[in-house]
Amino acid sequence: MGVMLLVGTAKGMFILESDDRRGKWSSRGPYHKGWMVYGLFADQRHNDPAIYAGVSSFVYGPHVQRSTDGGETWTAIENGPKFTKESGRKLEHIWSFAAGPEPKRLYCGVSQAALFESRDDGLNWSLVESLENHPTRSQWVPGAGGLCLHTLIPDAKNPERMYLGISAVGCFRTDDGGKSWAPKNKGVQPVEADQEVKYQGEVMRCLHKMVQDPGHPERLYQQNHLGVFRSMDAGDNWERCENGLPSQFGFPIAMHPRDHKTLYLIPQESDEARMFPDGKLTVYRSLDAGDSWHTIGPLDAGNYAGVLRDGLAVDSLDPAGIYFGTSSGQLFGSADEGKTWQQLPGQYPRILNVKAVVT
Amino acid sequence: MTDSVAQVTFSVPRMLVDFTGGQRRFTVDAQTVAGALSAAERAYPMLRVHLFNESGNVREHVQIFVNATDSRELPSFEVPVQDGDEIIVLQAISGGLPPHSWGGGRAAAGGADLN
Repeated sequence: MGVMLLVGTAKGMFILESDDRRGKWSSRGPYHKGWMVYGLFADQRHNDPAIYAGVSSFVYGPHVQRSTDGGETWTAIENGPKFTKESGRKLEHIWSFAAGPEPKRLYCGVSQAALFESRDDGLNWSLVESLENHPTRSQWVPGAGGLCLHTLIPDAKNPERMYLGISAVGCFRTDDGGKSWAPKNKGVQPVEADQEVKYQGEVMRCLHKMVQDPGHPERLYQQNHLGVFRSMDAGDNWERCENGLPSQFGFPIAMHPRDHKTLYLIPQESDEARMFPDGKLTVYRSLDAGDSWHTIGPLDAGNYAGVLRDGLAVDSLDPAGIYFGTSSGQLFGSADEGKTWQQLPGQYPRILNVKAVVT
Repeated sequence: MTDSVAQVTFSVPRMLVDFTGGQRRFTVDAQTVAGALSAAERAYPMLRVHLFNESGNVREHVQIFVNATDSRELPSFEVPVQDGDEIIVLQAISGGLPPHSWGGGRAAAGGADLN
């Protein structure tokens, strides 16, 4: 048993591997050299696990890559996500993947925000029209990072339920297998230029990243542009949970794989500065389901980078491993749930995504 | 327009060689520029994804030259080709952060997007 870290960067993908002690790491890559790698997903439902990568270029556009040999070789998917000419929409990046309720069903989220599904292990993709034609669609306005559907959470217990998160738009939930979608943003502050709440609609919430408590799937947590929020009722209502944090602003959030009150955040100073507060790279942990947050770190002083929304990952070993990659290309890991940390080998391009896969 | 089929050399940048069997250069048989592009796409379907946008136009930062002529300056892609002609795909030289990348939701060519 060991851990494989899938690391997506602005100029390719790298794979780091270790045994279950997670003390010594080897690195291979880059794969997809020169391409941005946003979405990463290891589908471990089959005997031969498949790795999916959302690969994109400002010049050449995006596509999906698939590997069935642990990332050694890759196949570009010809019939990947795409918009029609008539839609007037542009496919920019492939941000997220998730397993669907049947063995060969997959979802992926893209920018400009849309949801695609595949029913054949990622070989052919089609647009999910129910979200595309959502009544709030005309109110979806991109933020600085674009209009990206970056988070997909199939419910841990109910196969008909799934959540998704769109930057500058918010959280949506389906309870009917994707036939319909309801915005779930009550209690989350809307994004408005002057920060005074006038908007009374259901979207315009800048959700940066969202996680679900798999043991209590009605519990959700999100790092938002304007704070950290939790929901105890499947997204119907949200409340702030920021006690102890140095800032409301940040991108990633992660959950412990078994301890359902333990969460991790890596705040940034502000949306203007977008760097670690006071140059101190610090992970914050909550041991009480977001009631309070405490530092584990700082890990590095004089560090003025940040961690992007998909840059934080947790593995499922015991004790759990925690990993994150910075916007300046450093990778850090802890094999003991944050007690001790090490910088993992390599200096990488801007890290966009880190996924931890137990092998 | 001629009815004769010409052999045209296609040249692609290094970023695209994973989609052309590892080849920087290959030949196709065609009567016109459009025919040469179609033949290249039939042989290597990912070229369709990466050279053309949703509207079917050449992507903004992709340059396709027919010999020394920028394809955007051709009257159409239906112009005939001759034996020995070259179709050269280049990445346009561009960069920086255009003003619309700030708050406009579109990440900048060559720049770092904010996410």
